[in-house]
Amino acid sequence: MMKGRLSACAFLLVLWAAPIPAQGRQAKVTIIYDDKASEINAANEEAGHLWITTVDLKRATGFELKPQGVCRDELCFPVPSVRQEGFVRKRSGKTWFNLVAFANLVQQPIAQDEGLRTWYFGLRSDQREGLSSLKAPDFMLPDMSGRLHSLSDFRGKKVLLVTWASW
Amino acid sequence: MPGWQAIYERLKDHNFEIASVAQDTNGGKDAGPWITAAHPTYTALIGEKHLVSKLYNMVNVPTGVWIDEHGKIVRPNEVAFVDDRFKNFSGLDSAPYLNALADWAEKGNQSIYAMSEERLREKLTVNNPDIALAAAEFGLGEHLYKSGHLTEAIPHFKEAQRLNPKSWNYKRQAYALSDAMRDYGTTFMDEVEKAGGSKAYYPPPDLSPAGSPRDKKP
Repeated sequence: MMKGRLSACAFLLVLWAAPIPAQGRQAKVTIIYDDKASEINAANEEAGHLWITTVDLKRATGFELKPQGVCRDELCFPVPSVRQEGFVRKRSGKTWFNLVAFANLVQQPIAQDEGLRTWYFGLRSDQREGLSSLKAPDFMLPDMSGRLHSLSDFRGKKVLLVTWASW
Repeated sequence: MPGWQAIYERLKDHNFEIASVAQDTNGGKDAGPWITAAHPTYTALIGEKHLVSKLYNMVNVPTGVWIDEHGKIVRPNEVAFVDDRFKNFSGLDSAPYLNALADWAEKGNQSIYAMSEERLREKLTVNNPDIALAAAEFGLGEHLYKSGHLTEAIPHFKEAQRLNPKSWNYKRQAYALSDAMRDYGTTFMDEVEKAGGSKAYYPPPDLSPAGSPRDKKP
């Protein structure tokens, strides 16, 4: 039964793929990563996965593919070697990366708006677990004049961190 | 905000700082007039993506956290009124909280209001997958709203509210961006009543002494 389904899919894929060989369907998507929005002109949305080129990966997320894994500065996440093809593939002279597989690997929540092709990637588990060490999570935010301040600027002082809202 | 300025003036010579962060999707446009009017000399920041609430798992405003000289949390999220402007609604007197804050500013972690690690861990909200996903849905809603897609944002705000029903921020901020009755079939006051009134909305801070001998390491 499984085999029947697979071959039917394969048949459909052949029909579909015919006008755009080897690339599947490419679409313009918006990715929000670390609360920064980037437009990606050519992404592949396939079966709940999101493939983007490694050039777009760097631009949208700051992460790069390195021999030791997916890295940004000192932060590196090794890609499981047995599941390599679920993360990285080469097509039409470009290297493509599956951002959904990576999000699952680092336990990053994803919210998606299918109609507007917008993908929001939330905090990774390493960013969320900081709190349980009782170390106050650091952040950098602007004041009214646009000057940036970090919580860590106040190291050496006692700080009352307090939120409010106009609403 | 005038309340924070007053307490800051009183305590700043004790190596003490206040960092206030506005949780406003429209950022300085909505929060700015309040800040400008208060002439703060403490650090008044704008968090239009609700980053601090997200990182600290905060569910309401005003929420305060105490952070010591080493960047360590010594009191977790709690309702932090420093004046009595909302007393009629909240039923909370700000004096006990202000006294506790002054005690900590003067004595540092020797203050009976600075909590032991053990007690802190009991009170800390653990960031489970639902809370993390709720934050992502809310963030997506904010992005869609800001790019002119309020109608498309609403289902994501609703999903955030469903996944993290304890968050008042997700309700109130979303209601403030549209017509709550039309888009959510409810109002803020109806929701407060449903939750059990203002005591549930603003649970009083636990100001029982945190430094009992059982609690504090010698």
